[in-house]
Amino acid sequence: MAGALTAARGRAPSAAPRVLFLATLWCLGGLLVAFIMLPLVRLTLATSPGELVDAGQRSDVRAAIRLSLQDAAVTAVVAAFLGVPLAFILSRSVFPGQRFVEAIVDLPLAVPHSVVGIALLFVFGRRGWIGAPADHIGISFFGTQWGIVAGMLFVSAPFMVGSVRVALDAIDPRIERAARSLGATRAYAFRRVTLPLAARGIMTGLVLTYARSISEFGAIVILAYYPMTAPVKAYDLYLQNGLDASAAVSVLLLIVTLSTFVVFRALASGQVRPLALR
Amino acid sequence: MSQPAHGNGLEIEGLTARVGEFTLRHAALSVRPGRTLALVGPSGAGKTVLLEMIAGFRAPDAGRIRLDGIDLAGKPPEDREIGFVFQDYALFPHLTVLENVRFGLRARGIADGGAARGALSQLGIEHLAQRRPGTLSGGERQRVAVARVLAASPRLLLLDEPLSAVDAPTRDDLREELRTVLSGSGVPAIYVTHDQAEALAIADDLAVLIGGALRQSGPAMDVFTKPVDATVARFLGMEMMADAGRAGSDRARVGGAVLVLGGPLPDTAFVLCYRPEDVELAPPGGPCAVNAFDLRVTRITPAGPCDRLTMDGVLRLTAIMLRRTRIALRLEVDSAVRATVPPSALHAIAE
Repeated sequence: MAGALTAARGRAPSAAPRVLFLATLWCLGGLLVAFIMLPLVRLTLATSPGELVDAGQRSDVRAAIRLSLQDAAVTAVVAAFLGVPLAFILSRSVFPGQRFVEAIVDLPLAVPHSVVGIALLFVFGRRGWIGAPADHIGISFFGTQWGIVAGMLFVSAPFMVGSVRVALDAIDPRIERAARSLGATRAYAFRRVTLPLAARGIMTGLVLTYARSISEFGAIVILAYYPMTAPVKAYDLYLQNGLDASAAVSVLLLIVTLSTFVVFRALASGQVRPLALR
Repeated sequence: MSQPAHGNGLEIEGLTARVGEFTLRHAALSVRPGRTLALVGPSGAGKTVLLEMIAGFRAPDAGRIRLDGIDLAGKPPEDREIGFVFQDYALFPHLTVLENVRFGLRARGIADGGAARGALSQLGIEHLAQRRPGTLSGGERQRVAVARVLAASPRLLLLDEPLSAVDAPTRDDLREELRTVLSGSGVPAIYVTHDQAEALAIADDLAVLIGGALRQSGPAMDVFTKPVDATVARFLGMEMMADAGRAGSDRARVGGAVLVLGGPLPDTAFVLCYRPEDVELAPPGGPCAVNAFDLRVTRITPAGPCDRLTMDGVLRLTAIMLRRTRIALRLEVDSAVRATVPPSALHAIAE
């Protein structure tokens, strides 16, 4: 009895601070979760199933959603096509100015998106460095899907390069060396060993790039207000008809974007396998 | 399985490389066809750097590497026909065992023709063909790694501590298997290890690399029993006698004792060394014999199935003996003992 009391007394001073510490962590962490959830819940409550069905039947809303899905997917593919080689170079080589290139890749994360839109307009606008010559061969970025993809790519590229770089850095360099010593050229080893081993990272990159692209508003609204992507459409409805009128469309966008994101993320994390990864 | 025609094997001359603070200096060695050379040395000695240069993953600053008479300078790794077995095997985790073993043939655009299956059966792992490396034991992975390089019919095999990632019981079996495979393949091989017992068990020749310098190479037993300098002797587990002086053309004085050697002393300064397993122990007294001293056991250190005994008296000696032999001889700390160093076991190495 005396022993138990001593033991309890011995434990007591350490138990209280630990409970307090855990409680503080939960409170602060919970606040952040609530902060994220609350507006989305309130938005969902602002509409009814009937209004959602009506919004889903509007052709302009459907076109905007289709455009967003399509251009975000195109952007993800383009980002992979250009980002995987860059990530490979950054992961496997050492060259002068490497730090500088790495900083440039991350730069879009820090630039305000309205500024991105204005900067892109200078380059891709009708009189821009790239926009002017492109205009000659019939490609216009201003107010077209080209412009939408350009805006999405600028803001989402760092996610692709970052994800693939992490995956490449995790591959044991001896595995690539083993391939080389077995007679594989650099290109063969890249195709048959490096790429399959980095597949998970590339999938993650695709999902993050897609998610970042589909949610992009600031750059696109300046470079390509029309044709309207889903975020621009929601903003447009809000400006024209007010808060309540934009709620149903916003919830619809939320459902579509979130559901595609969840599906892709499940694919990337390997919980669902689209095809046997070889 | 077809093997390439073997020419002169591997010849290395004056190989020099600087890697950060480390420098490999003027390395020279050769491996004849059909022979296995064990490259031993403490960690950080440059063993892996040397292998990487031979395989083409690292360019030397100077020197020459020739394989079957062909200079390898400027040849990329894929054109060298050198099989590399890595320390933790570096199997392709996304491919099955069979696809791993077939990789070298596919990469070179060669039709399989049964070579991959042949290599699997040579290593006794045909039943693993459809498994992924992640599901294999350490020993199985090691066999896959060896089968993978053999299937590609290399001109030279490089094995970088291939048994270090395998647990002890499996290691002995694998060592025997590897020896059989290596001697049966006819391909010259360099086997890197820091374990001298493993080196002796597997190799025909032995090369000792310490601090970036190849100190000695030659037939394994020669190097093991006749090290050229004190550093090599120490690394190969020999015991040194401190402050040995000259006491005749074939006699040396150590402490209060005079020791007879198996041959003449060198003209220069020298150190005396012996292998502790060569020291014979018997109860004290007994008939007078050459190099026999009555000493007292001052320390007993267990070393696997053996014990290491330190003995002091007119001189200090160290002996290694089976534990059951020590117990049978009733040798404990403070026991009196007669220790004999046969003259043939004493080596004088020029300093």
